[in-house]
Amino acid sequence: MRAWVLGAAALGLGLAAAQGSAAGPATGAATGTGAGVYTEAQAAEGAAIFAERCAMCHGKQAEGTWEVPALKGRFMANWGHGTLAALSDYLARAMPQFAPGTLSQEDNVRLVAFLLKTNGHRAGAKPLSADHAALAGITLDAVPAGAVK
Amino acid sequence: MGVERQGYEGALGRRHVLRGGAAMAALGGLSACAGGRVASAPGPVNGPMVSAGNRPHLVPMRVSPDQLIDMKCCIRPLRAAGPNLGTQMVGDTLVVHNYGHGGSGWSLSWGSAEVAVGKALSVLPSEIAVVGCGIIGLTSAVVAQRAGLKVTIYARDIIQRTRTFRASGSFTPDSRVCLSEPAGPGFGDLWEQMARLSWKGFRSMLGLPGEPVVFADSYNVSDVPIVKHVEHPDPAIKGAWQPGGLPLQNSEFGKYGDRIKDIVPQSQPLSAEENPFAMPYATRVSQMHFNFPSYAHLLLTEFFQRGGLFVERDFNDPSQYGQLREKVVINATGYAARDLWRDNTVIPVRGQTGWLVPQREANYSVRFKNAMLMSKADGVVLMNNPVELGEMFGVGDSMELPDKGPLLEVLKIMEPVMAGLARRA
Repeated sequence: MRAWVLGAAALGLGLAAAQGSAAGPATGAATGTGAGVYTEAQAAEGAAIFAERCAMCHGKQAEGTWEVPALKGRFMANWGHGTLAALSDYLARAMPQFAPGTLSQEDNVRLVAFLLKTNGHRAGAKPLSADHAALAGITLDAVPAGAVK
Repeated sequence: MGVERQGYEGALGRRHVLRGGAAMAALGGLSACAGGRVASAPGPVNGPMVSAGNRPHLVPMRVSPDQLIDMKCCIRPLRAAGPNLGTQMVGDTLVVHNYGHGGSGWSLSWGSAEVAVGKALSVLPSEIAVVGCGIIGLTSAVVAQRAGLKVTIYARDIIQRTRTFRASGSFTPDSRVCLSEPAGPGFGDLWEQMARLSWKGFRSMLGLPGEPVVFADSYNVSDVPIVKHVEHPDPAIKGAWQPGGLPLQNSEFGKYGDRIKDIVPQSQPLSAEENPFAMPYATRVSQMHFNFPSYAHLLLTEFFQRGGLFVERDFNDPSQYGQLREKVVINATGYAARDLWRDNTVIPVRGQTGWLVPQREANYSVRFKNAMLMSKADGVVLMNNPVELGEMFGVGDSMELPDKGPLLEVLKIMEPVMAGLARRA
């Protein structure tokens, strides 16, 4: 498990250049997040954004509070089987709640990558595209039972 | 008059317990009135006056920071036009909206549910769905069950974790419920219908185990004469709310409380003899409030006993309503409707409360300056609402994290009030 994490991180170094062009438009044959649809570098960038813009409400570990939803665990029940476009659109419209619409689409996608990693979805070699059609072609799979920590 | 009597006897009742029958005897005589009587203050309602040494006794609340056990923040969903009780079709599914009650969701819950369930019933369903499990959703579900329907609630949270539980929980049926111009002249009648029906609903819950609904005395104390505040438009403020925007001043908010003052207790000035506080001016009102834990328990118990189902799930698009098994859905999503239904007429109005360890022996509320303490079964509620900002306080603010500073300030403001009570005790 650790090996692919490190490997993917190395592959993700070229993220900035690849952003927005790596994934093509949806083909109709949906990909699942189990295929590894983001890079470690994206998730790391997403983690930095999360720490700055999200953690004050959702908690440093995305653990949530009594009032604020956790972004792992139960998060999967709310968003599982939906598309990453739905999640990304939600972030774009509604988050952060105190200033909705202030995150760039690129940052939203980095946050999606961070959320995927946080929820146990493995990274891959290709970065997640900010293209809406591409995001709409990726389904948020259930976390493999063996990946639940 | 009957209203004042209720509050007065409530206070006396506690003193009577504490000090024995001598207190009643002490009600006779004494015409001395210390300074500070509020202009036009009526005499004691039940004839005899109270001696200065036997005024209603209140237990001082402990207002030290170590008693602070919780802080809650929430967003009231204000809609300029008032709550959305409209209907729309999503595919072959009838959606009946029931959201956007501002700071009046608790207070209008029974009446608003009656309206929404009535619309749902008109298509003769045998089962319906309710989306949302705050006070509006859960009450709608129970009202639908009482009408014979099978009900499933779909919600991402059960009531104890919704914004409903972050209210302060007193009967405030026209708090940020609408803006009067966009709501239009017809809204007052609908509001009154909902408020009166809700009042009856709450009356039916008084005295139940756990005290889901109670009355308690609420005092307003001051070192200057208390005058009833009437909102007038500020001529310096040009313009008013526009679609997609925010109200600009207090006078834009719809106020309808006078319509139900025949049943809802109104504030009464207290004479010096009746004033339990070491403050020159005071008013008292019998205020209805809701104890969240027992209220939620009661509603959930009825919901499940009637065979209700609860499904934890989120929605991220209105089209998903059309995919539910039930073909009639009551949408009770509160502030979340702003995003889910892309309803940008929902205006966030931030509010926050602090909570002290429950102090059941101090069973009253008191306001002084911007500070408010309200003693409830699940704690003493702290609020710090700048009087001069009124309904505008928090408008447009969707930051839902509590800010401790203003809550600690409440404790500071209340220190001399409670010290004065302690001296009098």
